Amino acid sequence: MICSVLFSVHCAAVSGQEEASQGQSQATSEQLEFFEKEVRPLLVEHCYECHSGKSKKLQAGLRVDSRKAMLKGGDSGPALIASNPDESSIIQAVRYDGFEMPPKGKLPANEIDILTKWVAMGAPWPAEQPSDGGADRESFDWQKRKEGHWVWQSIQNPTRPTIAETDWPKSDIDFFILSSLEKAGLKPTLQADKYALVRRLYLDIIGLPPTPEQVQQFVSNTNIIGTEQLVDQLLASPHFGERWGRHWLDLVRFAESRGHEFDNDAPYAYQYRDYVIRALNADVPYDQFVREHLAGDLLKSPRLNAAEHFNESILGTGFFHLGEWVHSPVDIRKDESDRFDNMIDVMSKTFLGVTVSCARCHDHKFDAISTEDYYSIAGFLQSSDYREVAFDAMECNREIGSQLAELDQNYREKIGSILSKASPASILAMDHASKETREANMQSLSDAVIVDYAIAEPSQFFVDGELFGKRPRHAGEISLVVSDGKAKLDFVRTSAAASDLFWNSFKKQEANSPNQMSSIGKLPRSGRTLRSPTFTLRDGKVDCRIQGQGHVVACVDSHRLLAGPLHGETVRGIPKADGFQWVTLNLGRYVGHRLHLEFTPDVDTLMEVQIVTQGASPEQLKAIEASKANVANQITEAAKVIDLELQKDKDAEERVNAIVESWSKARLELQQKIRTTSRVAMSMMDGTGEDEHVLIRGNSSNPGRTVARRFLVAVDGPEPLAIEHGSGRLELAERINAATNPLASRVIVNRIWHHLMGRGIVPTTDDFGFLGQRPSHPELLDHLATKFLSDGRSLKKMIRYVVLSKTYQLGSRPDAISTQLDPKNQFWHHHAAKRLEGEAIRDALLSISGRLDPTQYGPSIKVYLSSFMDGRGRPGQNGPLDGSNRRSIYLEVRRNFLSPMFVAFDTPTPFSAMGRRNVSNVPAQALILMNDPLVAELAKAWAQRACSTVPMSEGQSPDARIRWMVMSAFSRESNEPELAAARAFLNKHGQEFGMTIRDESLWEDFAHALVNKKEFIFQR
Amino acid sequence: MNHCNRFRPAPINRRELLQRFGSGFGLTALTALMHDPAFGALTLEDLKSEKSEAKAGMPNHGLHHPAKATSVIFLYMDGGPSQVDTFDPKPMLDKYNGKDPGEFFKVEATQFNSIGKVLASPWKFNPYGECGLPVSDLFPNIATCSDDLCVVRSMVSEFPEHTFANYFLHTGSGLQGRPSMGAWINYGLGSVNQSLPGFVVVNGGLIPPGGLDCFGSGFLPASYQGSVFKPKGTAVANVQPLEKTMERQRSKLSLVNQLDHLASDQFGTSDNIESAIRNYELASQMQTAIPELMAFGDETQATQTMYGFDAAYEPTRTFAAECLMARRLVERGVRFIELTCPSVSGDRWDQHSNLKEGHENNAKAVDQPIAALLKDLKQRGLLEKTLVVWAGEFGRTPFAQGTNGRDHNPFGFTVWLAGGGAKGGTVYGQTDEFGYKAIEDRTEMHDLHATMLHLLGVDHTRSTFRFGGRDMRLTDVKGHVVHKIIA
Repeated sequence: MICSVLFSVHCAAVSGQEEASQGQSQATSEQLEFFEKEVRPLLVEHCYECHSGKSKKLQAGLRVDSRKAMLKGGDSGPALIASNPDESSIIQAVRYDGFEMPPKGKLPANEIDILTKWVAMGAPWPAEQPSDGGADRESFDWQKRKEGHWVWQSIQNPTRPTIAETDWPKSDIDFFILSSLEKAGLKPTLQADKYALVRRLYLDIIGLPPTPEQVQQFVSNTNIIGTEQLVDQLLASPHFGERWGRHWLDLVRFAESRGHEFDNDAPYAYQYRDYVIRALNADVPYDQFVREHLAGDLLKSPRLNAAEHFNESILGTGFFHLGEWVHSPVDIRKDESDRFDNMIDVMSKTFLGVTVSCARCHDHKFDAISTEDYYSIAGFLQSSDYREVAFDAMECNREIGSQLAELDQNYREKIGSILSKASPASILAMDHASKETREANMQSLSDAVIVDYAIAEPSQFFVDGELFGKRPRHAGEISLVVSDGKAKLDFVRTSAAASDLFWNSFKKQEANSPNQMSSIGKLPRSGRTLRSPTFTLRDGKVDCRIQGQGHVVACVDSHRLLAGPLHGETVRGIPKADGFQWVTLNLGRYVGHRLHLEFTPDVDTLMEVQIVTQGASPEQLKAIEASKANVANQITEAAKVIDLELQKDKDAEERVNAIVESWSKARLELQQKIRTTSRVAMSMMDGTGEDEHVLIRGNSSNPGRTVARRFLVAVDGPEPLAIEHGSGRLELAERINAATNPLASRVIVNRIWHHLMGRGIVPTTDDFGFLGQRPSHPELLDHLATKFLSDGRSLKKMIRYVVLSKTYQLGSRPDAISTQLDPKNQFWHHHAAKRLEGEAIRDALLSISGRLDPTQYGPSIKVYLSSFMDGRGRPGQNGPLDGSNRRSIYLEVRRNFLSPMFVAFDTPTPFSAMGRRNVSNVPAQALILMNDPLVAELAKAWAQRACSTVPMSEGQSPDARIRWMVMSAFSRESNEPELAAARAFLNKHGQEFGMTIRDESLWEDFAHALVNKKEFIFQR
Repeated sequence: MNHCNRFRPAPINRRELLQRFGSGFGLTALTALMHDPAFGALTLEDLKSEKSEAKAGMPNHGLHHPAKATSVIFLYMDGGPSQVDTFDPKPMLDKYNGKDPGEFFKVEATQFNSIGKVLASPWKFNPYGECGLPVSDLFPNIATCSDDLCVVRSMVSEFPEHTFANYFLHTGSGLQGRPSMGAWINYGLGSVNQSLPGFVVVNGGLIPPGGLDCFGSGFLPASYQGSVFKPKGTAVANVQPLEKTMERQRSKLSLVNQLDHLASDQFGTSDNIESAIRNYELASQMQTAIPELMAFGDETQATQTMYGFDAAYEPTRTFAAECLMARRLVERGVRFIELTCPSVSGDRWDQHSNLKEGHENNAKAVDQPIAALLKDLKQRGLLEKTLVVWAGEFGRTPFAQGTNGRDHNPFGFTVWLAGGGAKGGTVYGQTDEFGYKAIEDRTEMHDLHATMLHLLGVDHTRSTFRFGGRDMRLTDVKGHVVHKIIA
């Protein structure tokens, strides 16, 4: 208590002094006259429009209509430092130095001089009441915002409402729906007939129409298969994950290229797609799914693929990296902040249904989300990295790596205990030598040293893969050398992060993708890379003491698409040399930026990194060299002594030799177990844990204070998250998954409802915020969320729960009264017909034509390029028109070359989370179904299939074949008027264009017409 | 991605809706339209309420004030033509040719980071027209239209990289996937022609860096997307029936129509299905409208010659066809037409080296056709209602890149407007004495967009679409109408 009083007194004193120093020391009347005549008119004319109490919209939170307001300043700090024009941002701004004000054009030199003179004289301003226009900065009160909006309130478990028509409901869902219908004076329509239901269930759950046989099974009177049984079958189908995976890919702006100018590859993106499909098929609990997306790389026991034992969890983190990438950005830091912004946007909309990225430049205009929220979340990304992870091999090799470390340690100890008896003085000398340098380096060079692997803490040691072991090796450590197949005792001469030939059999399996421009894309980095801690560049000269061949990459502001004219200096090949050499990177362009270095040896070579410095003088570098050499010499000397003493002690020597041999053997045995090849995928990797600065007005060149990493204040309060080490993404995932977070489970059950019912309970599926729409049935939403949480967060169970309700199974024909009262079906008195997505239409065409290839997973089928699809980055190789008959989810998604058919049918442009597709109605859709060669080709194949499935002998009625085709396309029986129309068409069309009923070409025309019937692209 | 055929019926305003409602246009079809975001999320209550347009976040269709222009032709000068070699003469460049630019001003970071010496323009400038507008020798034909040109010499962009700058110029945002200005304009005003899309891109060969997303509809409905046409041949994908004869297709479609109308047993009278049926009528109309559009033979020989159909240089002939097509699209009521550059030897206007040869080729391709387009529009009385905008995504540095090129320069460059309410024969704004940065009447991209929308009768602050928790605008939260360039 006393302390705090003292502290505040102290504060007051300081601010009092500050006031005094900035205060006006008695402005003279001449000065005030100068102000009124020369200065104020300039301010009024050029600044007031945006920076005064009268501004329609105050810009940058800054007012310049009073001296006090200028001293206080705006978002970028004070505008005025009295008597110091050069430091005053108002003067910098009019000089167009930093800011450029006024924005319409630089002031004439004499006017700039006037303002400068005024500030220099202490900025005299007459005493006056500040003119208040009320346009001062609004304060952000998250608690008030939180109280005022439904979504921040905790999830309730509402009781089932009472209803009049008690016979109707089947599940609790129906109670909630019926209750609101009854209150509105509405009645549910009739249940869907079995034909409609079976088609609906197939399309909704697996995205493919039922075959005629499957329809028959369901509708037959003997009831071969019941609804629940059918639902369970469909949920168990491998096609389930393909259907719902596509929904998910809309959220994570899935694409396999980077867009921008050359549409560079986003390599191995399909591995993420396959991960999603597998995870949905396996019904991975949603909290685990979320955890894997945010922090799958950090799980102590990751989920392993059941069949192939690879690490599934880490693949989830790939979603972060599915955004656009830019080559050669001039403002590299802004490029990073844009990438982060996209990640935050996608993450917050997808998992939380709120638009955190609206708070990038200012506190959210409407929601309880502050700029601090935004940058506290940005900190998690700032602390993380991109890598292409060797996910097949990593778990197996991680285990081998641990065994290797243990094995080496055991043998070292065994040998050590013999040697410490045989040659105690030398062992001591070695230990001493290495310690000395550690201390020496720490003292004299600490400023220049980024990392010295002789003294690096475990938290400074980052690796992707096992090549560099579990820690740096230290000078004096017992080691093995193998020459001519014979193992020999040795001692580590110098401390370094060093790769181990033990791992040389490890290779990445896949070739690089063809549209890979990045100069680092080709380097053998996956699973073979050492990463330095993140640091701020203070001096452009970075020196690394390295032995071996390979590459060092300076990853500045996490920029990795190294192509084009700029940033080539961030990659440096390490030339072949004997022994250690200084490898220098000239990074002058990036002083002030955050970066880290990545070291990768060439294939089949070794690499050792001793130390990394910045701005070290030649003398300092020499001193480092000398001290390292000195240690090495001392160790060499000590080793000689040990050798001599062992020669004297034959017994010890023999024992040592035996141990060395069995050590070497044990290593060779273990080496056989290495998983030598691996597929790779984009994923996260932890870097140095750090908090992000608030970037004022979202401007990356204007950093403000740092904010500690934490989850949204409105959910978790303002306390920083307790993060033990690293990025803290795992801790963040737990906060998102916490049962007390009201957002996550509401958002996901609403998504399920949206896909099954055609509209979410909250129609704006990605925005539950103030500007989003309110839930039409808030209690139902909470009921579903509660049930979801208590059912182990199973997506399949939730889908099952919804589709087995009577509400879901309502018919699609509303009655007249309900249509009148509720034309938009707000109350769900019927199940509105919905148009299929482009992907589902194509899949249905493949399915009925018998051409569908059900193969799952793997590299995408290249996009088919028509002559209208042009532009930079156009792939050199065209894909097949029919996409090799694979399901649409397996077709390549290139940002700059999206499928025209899918785009016409509203597949979203992949730039942000899009949980609700537009459903537009455009003639392009008709033109595609009428004239697109693929549609015609598949209709033809379907006709041929109809001809062979339902053969017709001479003089036989075509009815059977027509019926089969109607059943195949629309999953229902034909009716008489339809049959009559079809017969008439076959007759007349055949006559007119010279075909008989025996000609397949006539049936091809008929088939093409049928797929143009709206019923084909709608689900009732 | 061809983005073609993003055709759609004209959105109707509230009054029209009410009229159609009153004259028996089915209630169900009406709700169908209202469900389509292209028509705004109006409800019946909104229709009855006079306040509907004032509702926050409601799309605000139709004119906010009388329009001066009804169509826009956007002559996109891909790659960034150099301001100091075209419409912004700078004698200082001659005076200090070969000197280090750092002696005169602070040199900003550039795309190639290869800063050369101050580089004088290889071309002479002469005054043209009554207004005496200085135009360089690159554009002898456009120069003859000087009294119709409103030259803005103080444009600035925020990005020195092509793709960012292209997205910014086209969509008002440097990021990929945002709606293009053509989409916004159609979203605001709708198309007059029901058998052609409201936003047409005539692709002469060079799709801008950033790809077709420059013409996308982003979060707006797909209906507003730019449709890419070719200036010759079939013009658009999927408008050519696959059947050998139109009759054969018609026969099939008549069966489709018959079966669709028998479907009420299955669907009742579902609104969106009714709308989908109507699509087929429009699609059929388009199949005839496109060949009519492309029937250049309708034009007189004199017209064709004026545009450059006989030019010796192949890219000139290509751009001539684009310009003629633009006029024919304007005549058919298409709202927004963008022409992309034909591929000339070398590169687009992006002369990082060989400025002289590259700019000459690019100018040769577009100069005659553009001049012809302006004159043709004028003689037909269309120029008044057609806003022609000539712009690249940025300008070029007044100093060399290497020895004979110029790098990207977003700090000050020139665009021009003609017709459609723009004040002809004027120059607005200026760059510094080296032509490097805008120093007077700085005009931002958002200002250009705001002004274009203004001339079309749209208030850029009121034409909004709610997405991702915000009411999005073409002009973000910025933009001022530049009244001084309005006639």
